[in-house]
Amino acid sequence: MRKVIINIALIITTIILYILQANLFNWFTIAGVMPNLFVIFILFIGLFGSKTMGTIYGLTVGLFLDFVIGARIGVNCLGLGIIGFLAMIFDKNFSKDSRMTIMVMVMVATIIFEVIVYLINYIIVSINVEIINFIRILAIEVLYNVILTIITYPIIQKAGYYIENEYKGNKILTRYF
Amino acid sequence: MYRSKKAGIIGIVITIIILIFIVIFSNGDSNNTFFENIASNLVMPIQNGLTYLKNQLSGNDTFFTDINKLNEENEELKQKNSQLEQSLRELENIKTENETLKEYLNLTEKYGEYKTIPGYVINKDISNYSKTIVISIGKKDGVEEQMTVIGDKGLVGHVISVTDSTAKVQTIIDTASSVSCSMSTTKDSIVCKGTLDDMSLLRAMYIPTEANIIQGDSIETSGLGGIYPKGIHIGTVKKVTNTQNLTDRYALIETAVDFNKLDTVLVINNK
Repeated sequence: MRKVIINIALIITTIILYILQANLFNWFTIAGVMPNLFVIFILFIGLFGSKTMGTIYGLTVGLFLDFVIGARIGVNCLGLGIIGFLAMIFDKNFSKDSRMTIMVMVMVATIIFEVIVYLINYIIVSINVEIINFIRILAIEVLYNVILTIITYPIIQKAGYYIENEYKGNKILTRYF
Repeated sequence: MYRSKKAGIIGIVITIIILIFIVIFSNGDSNNTFFENIASNLVMPIQNGLTYLKNQLSGNDTFFTDINKLNEENEELKQKNSQLEQSLRELENIKTENETLKEYLNLTEKYGEYKTIPGYVINKDISNYSKTIVISIGKKDGVEEQMTVIGDKGLVGHVISVTDSTAKVQTIIDTASSVSCSMSTTKDSIVCKGTLDDMSLLRAMYIPTEANIIQGDSIETSGLGGIYPKGIHIGTVKKVTNTQNLTDRYALIETAVDFNKLDTVLVINNK
């Protein structure tokens, strides 16, 4: 029952994040650059949820974004799916107790997601490669995502451990040492 | 983990304040005057007091007489300046009004032959790297894929997918967009592509070696490619960049449509 409630809450959060991303962060930008809330969200699900949860949510949320606003179906789906999978690898290898580790994870995930999406677009529609502009936008986006992670860290941690206890139980002892 | 709850809350509050400041200062200078005024009001009384003291100490007794004269002169100049600014503003208003009326007249004449469907922009892209928009009209209103979308001042893009009540439009500023265009004076053919650099700039490529690009020249669709009808205004040439190899030279085109303020669009029904 609790798992159902958790999943309903995550779906509602997806919609709220979409509204925030499409409206608030469309004008609340740093030098015209928006953050990417979905990368943080999928990373969070992958880190604290069950093994496959991150990838499943990544693929589903990505597909939803592709249908709603994406120019080509499958780009966000694949990108966020990979982030979900990456989160599972992070969960296996790193501790989630440190704020710094989470910040670095967000940094790496944002870079990987945007590079994948840019590469896919380059292969499909042969867009002009503008490396300097791409790096400039990516750097600001990474900074913005990291700032948002610092602000939301207590919520991420609290909700995260609640989900983790539900899905994995109290088997993981690393964080108690 | 935060060392204590209080420290954590203070840290978050400071981060939020820093974020707000970054957002304000990184997006134009419209708010700068307000902050400049506050800073100036805080600092200037102290600065004036210090100057007065400095002058007193150095025995400069002409300070007050000079400052009175300067104040009077300053007032006169300020009055003159405001009068000039006022007339300049009026002239600019008339100029803008004139330009807008001319554009409307041109648009009605140009696009009068097409049947158009009006719609609103209901959603903008959530990514920093693509510039797709969603409009409030769809299949029910007669919108189909590949139809051309225009704004009040020129070309916006084309429809890439349609649902019953909405349509996704790939704008011309999207990096995946390529529009075949021609220059209004020389009629040379070029290709305009979207850039990551700016929301109002296109990159004109594949310029013929013998073509003469004039700064400020108007750019229109050429009708080649089959999506966009011929003669729709796109923008004006802002800058021409010459490279060592003449075939690689490119020009930056400033779009006529302001994509940041785009609200209403017209879909041309050319089917």
